[in-house]
Amino acid sequence: MRKLLIMGIFATVLPAAPLPDEPPEQEAGPTNVNTRLIVESVRVAGRWSAKLSNPLRSDLDQIAGQNFDPPLLDRLRDRIKQELKVPDVRMHVAKGDMPDHVIVNFEIGAEHEKRFDLDLARFLYHSRQGWSGQGHATVNIHQNAFSFGMVSDGDRLSERYAGIQAGYERRHVGTDRLQLRFDFSSYHEQWNQATLLEAAPGDIYRTRTHFSPLATVVILEPLEVSFGVDFARYRLSLPVAKTESSNAVVSTLRYHQRWGSAGLHSGRDEGEHDLRASYSLRAGTHVLESDPAFARHQAEARYRFRRGHQDLSVGFLGGTISGRAPLFERFVLGNAETLRGWNKFDLDPLGASHVAHGSIDYGYRGFLVFYDTGAVWDRPEEREQKQSLGLGCKKSGFQLAVAFPVRSGTVNPVFYAGMNF
Amino acid sequence: MRVRTIKPWWLIAAFLSGLAFAMAAEDLILSTEESRLEFSAPRVHFLVGKPLERLRNASEVPFDFKITLWSGTRNHLLREVPARFVVSYDLWEEKFSVTRLLPTRRTARHLTDIAAEAWCLQQMSQDVTGVSATEPLWARLEIRAQDGKEAGLPFGRGNITDSGISLTSLIEILSRPAATTQPHWTIETGPVTLEELRRGRRRG
Repeated sequence: MRKLLIMGIFATVLPAAPLPDEPPEQEAGPTNVNTRLIVESVRVAGRWSAKLSNPLRSDLDQIAGQNFDPPLLDRLRDRIKQELKVPDVRMHVAKGDMPDHVIVNFEIGAEHEKRFDLDLARFLYHSRQGWSGQGHATVNIHQNAFSFGMVSDGDRLSERYAGIQAGYERRHVGTDRLQLRFDFSSYHEQWNQATLLEAAPGDIYRTRTHFSPLATVVILEPLEVSFGVDFARYRLSLPVAKTESSNAVVSTLRYHQRWGSAGLHSGRDEGEHDLRASYSLRAGTHVLESDPAFARHQAEARYRFRRGHQDLSVGFLGGTISGRAPLFERFVLGNAETLRGWNKFDLDPLGASHVAHGSIDYGYRGFLVFYDTGAVWDRPEEREQKQSLGLGCKKSGFQLAVAFPVRSGTVNPVFYAGMNF
Repeated sequence: MRVRTIKPWWLIAAFLSGLAFAMAAEDLILSTEESRLEFSAPRVHFLVGKPLERLRNASEVPFDFKITLWSGTRNHLLREVPARFVVSYDLWEEKFSVTRLLPTRRTARHLTDIAAEAWCLQQMSQDVTGVSATEPLWARLEIRAQDGKEAGLPFGRGNITDSGISLTSLIEILSRPAATTQPHWTIETGPVTLEELRRGRRRG
């Protein structure tokens, strides 16, 4: 009886059990069998890995302990590439120390440096100031970057300057903490009638060239300092051709910090914070055989907060010039970045020796609204606060907006559109 | 009596011919099981090279298969059947897993490389009910490894599981010529009749 029972059990169980030669077949489940494995740790290796932002580091750290998720890791790899601006990041997956665990290594491919790069640094149409554009071609050879570019800009300064720019940059001088840069530029100037009417004959120049060697030292992440010299020569528009020099000692202190999380996983979006601040000093001195002697101080700060589809940005600019500085050193408001909606030639056609400016931008799903306020002045009694409002759209570096100066009387909107400004 | 010797270049030629024959023998083998036409290609290995490298790096690799059958004459297309298989390699078990996405989803796990390749071909078997036993048949098998980044196109990047690829799209992908850098294999056989196959005579 017992034998019959055992045979009965075998007869029932055996047909249901898979034969060793037959692979078990299933109808559902993930296509990648490794998604059952747990990520033990995530490592980023390569020369530039120290430059990863805190939000990205935080997202990478969050991967440990989770199931292996190739699409998520691909997105992180793309973010590393994008953030560090490197051509290649390779992902290697290896067995971990614990069973059914894996280690994910992201390798930043420094050896596959992008040899040739074309960059449209700025492209803008402003309904009052016309077109502005700036582009560069860069050749990278063993940590040395040689760039050549062309520019025509009628937006940033009180003049329109057009010409060539060339540069050499060494991003690693013995250590990643030291970079060297040499810039050369040569411009021809065009002046607005309002500026010509206001300026003294000796203020207007036809051409200018700059040569500026600069060194940048990373003091302590995220704080870095640049220092160097800017040798400028400009030919005045006088009946008798005369060339002047403006040779200045240049130093800039920069701070850039990011924190929070962009929120790769639903429900864990803390928002991403980004704070940039800088202080720069340009001092034209007779020691460097500069014709004008001046000291130009400028402080800038911008805080940005992103969460989901929302993007908030608050900016501040303040500056002062003591002494007599050439026009290209003077502060301008009323362009595509400051007091948007105002015409810079209405505010101060020569630029000013003092500036204070603040702006708030809010974006939601690419829709943008902004508020600017600020003043430029030479003498305290000239100081008059101006305001402007605007709206538009912004997506992937492209911006299209219309801005209105807040003032009584007529409404003269300014329209502008462009990339990377 | 004159003794004739074999010249060395004849030996080389014979060796090269043998090698060429061996290479040509990487053919498609047909067999029948009741009303189904089955395929095997024991000399063709697609879990090699770059695809294998990606698999051993925990990635999944999609392979697109297409069986083409001609009957009667070589110009009379009987059937074109595409299929997509997604292969992955378990880093800890060191075994392959294959999922056939189309036409219906099936998965086989814990396979060796040879078994995984054979399973894919088994899934390509065709019902030949209605085909005359004396009608000559030709068959061609195409296999293409897809880049993970392009495999899901135009349905979304990379994620094959969620790509929802359709038969029409798969046919469209396979109708394009394979890229030079894309690992691909094409093998053919025929003419052969079902009668010959049923008699146990196999063509190689």
